[in-house]
Order: sequence, then structure tokens, then C-alpha cells
Amino acid sequence: MTDCIFELKNDLNKNGIFFCFSGPISQDLIVEIGDTLKNKMRLEDASKSSMRLVFSIIIEQAQNIIYYSEEKVRPWSAGVNAGSISVGIITVAKKDNSYIITSGNMIKTEHVDKLKEKIEKIKGMGKDELKQYYKSQRKKDPDEDSKGAGLGLIDIARKVSKPLEYNFSSIDETVSFFTVTTVVAEGL
Amino acid sequence: MKDIHVKETKYTPEIIYTAADNTMSIKGKSYPENADEFYAPVFEWLEKFFKEDNELHLTVNIELVYFNSSSSKALLNFLDMLEDAGDNDMKIVVNWIYDEEDDNMLEYGEEFKEDIDSIEFLLVPIESA
Repeated sequence: MTDCIFELKNDLNKNGIFFCFSGPISQDLIVEIGDTLKNKMRLEDASKSSMRLVFSIIIEQAQNIIYYSEEKVRPWSAGVNAGSISVGIITVAKKDNSYIITSGNMIKTEHVDKLKEKIEKIKGMGKDELKQYYKSQRKKDPDEDSKGAGLGLIDIARKVSKPLEYNFSSIDETVSFFTVTTVVAEGL
Repeated sequence: MKDIHVKETKYTPEIIYTAADNTMSIKGKSYPENADEFYAPVFEWLEKFFKEDNELHLTVNIELVYFNSSSSKALLNFLDMLEDAGDNDMKIVVNWIYDEEDDNMLEYGEEFKEDIDSIEFLLVPIESA
């Protein structure tokens, strides 16, 4: 374990990752993550606009983990009726004057194609198209399997400086690991 | 109609209605995990207000520094309710109050305004904190 942590730290450093959380993600934790990042960015004299963008993107990515992660745990202290908490990973890196937010969580393999299609559609849209798509989706009732408003990724795509990057790793027939990376350039 | 006061939390806004000046205000941040659940009691109250009160006007001040995408949907539903009341001849003014340096908040306000017909929707910049 001791060696592994040192390696992990080196890997994080190598990738410019200054914030990393892997585990169960609750709404209260999201608040803490948001505040921690704001403080960190304030210390770095980040511009208010990039602080706002990073904050809002991280909230959407983290809440997407809460809504959609297939990996759940039950808190130790909670009773049998307590709800389970979604598990995922969130990292924030700073590289070449940009903030890079990456999140990952398990999803049902059967949802991979649909999600891929949605992201590709969003990636192919310009600013105005994204705005219209955001507005039209907001008017619709969300999909039955969507616990949020189904707007998170569109909202994120409207705020990033570079197109979304994503990856699906097949774990087995039932679950896959979904990763999405967003970039916010400082000084926008 | 009785006054309401929903206290602000770390991720939900303060919501106040004062009958004395017919003003409702939503202020703070809004990023609950489940926005529908959070706003449901407010919507219920609003429905009752429109049904039972004979007020002819209502001012709504929306001063949010941040809201997540599911709150954005709840806000749209909220504005739809106000529009319905506006269609029924109630005079409604919504002030969308935003930090003058926050282009995103201005843009969100403009996007709501684009689809509004029967109520007054004003974009109100305030000095950056």
C-alpha cells in the first residue's frame, strides 16, 4: 500500500492533477468539492469567470455521477432503509493554463450506445445550435431512465473551451466504465 | 395569503414572499440533487396564491448566483406558471438580477426572456461583489 500511494501521487503530479476524489459521492460532498476548488482557484488568482465555469461544470459532472452511476454503496452508519450512494471518480488538473475536469463512473453497458450518440450529437453542434438544443430539451419531460433534467451534458458543452472528450471501457456484458473530460481555458 | 420564508441552505436559495408589497424573491444558489422535489412546495404555494388571492400584481426578484441544469428546468416551469397568471390579467414583473460581470447569468436571463410574452421580464445588472 505504501508504494502504491507514492506511485499514485507521482501519476497525479505527472498529469497535473491537483484534486482527486474516488468513492461514494453525496450531495454534501459535492458542496465541499465545489468550495474546495473555489478556494484553491482563488489562491491561484484564477479569474472569476473561469472559477464560475469550473464550479458549474464540476457540479454537473458530479451530479451526473449521482444520477447515473451503476456502482452504489450503502453508508455503514445508515439503517437498512437508507438510500445507497453513487460511486465515481472526479479529478481536476491544471495544464497549459487550462483547467481539465475528468469524471468517471460505471454505467449499464446497454446504455453505452445511447449515451455515445447523445455526446456525438452535442459535439457536432455549434454555439447557437447548442443553445437551441438546450432550450428545446429543457421544455421536454426528461427520459424515464433520467433522474436529472437530462440537460447536464448540454449545459457543460456550452461552457467548455474544447470539445468534450469521452471514453467507454467495457468491464463486462452488464457494466462499462464511462469517462468524460472537459476543458476550461483560464482567462476567458 | 400568508408570507413564506424558505431559508437558504448551502445548495438551495432563500425564497421569500411578503404580502405587504406583493413581492417574491429567490436568492442564492440552486443546485439540489432533486430540483423538482425542492421546488414542489413553492409551486404548490404559487398555485394556491393565483387561485385564492385577488392580488392584481406580483413582483418576482430572481437573484441567483448559480443554478444547476435541473434547477434551470424548474425555473422554466416557474416562469410558465407566472406566464399563465399573466395571461389571466395579473400584472407580473420579473427582475432577473445578475452580477454585471457574469456573462453566463446574463445569457441565461436572455434565454428565458426570449420565450416570455405575457409578463414583464427585466434584466437587472448589479455591481460585481
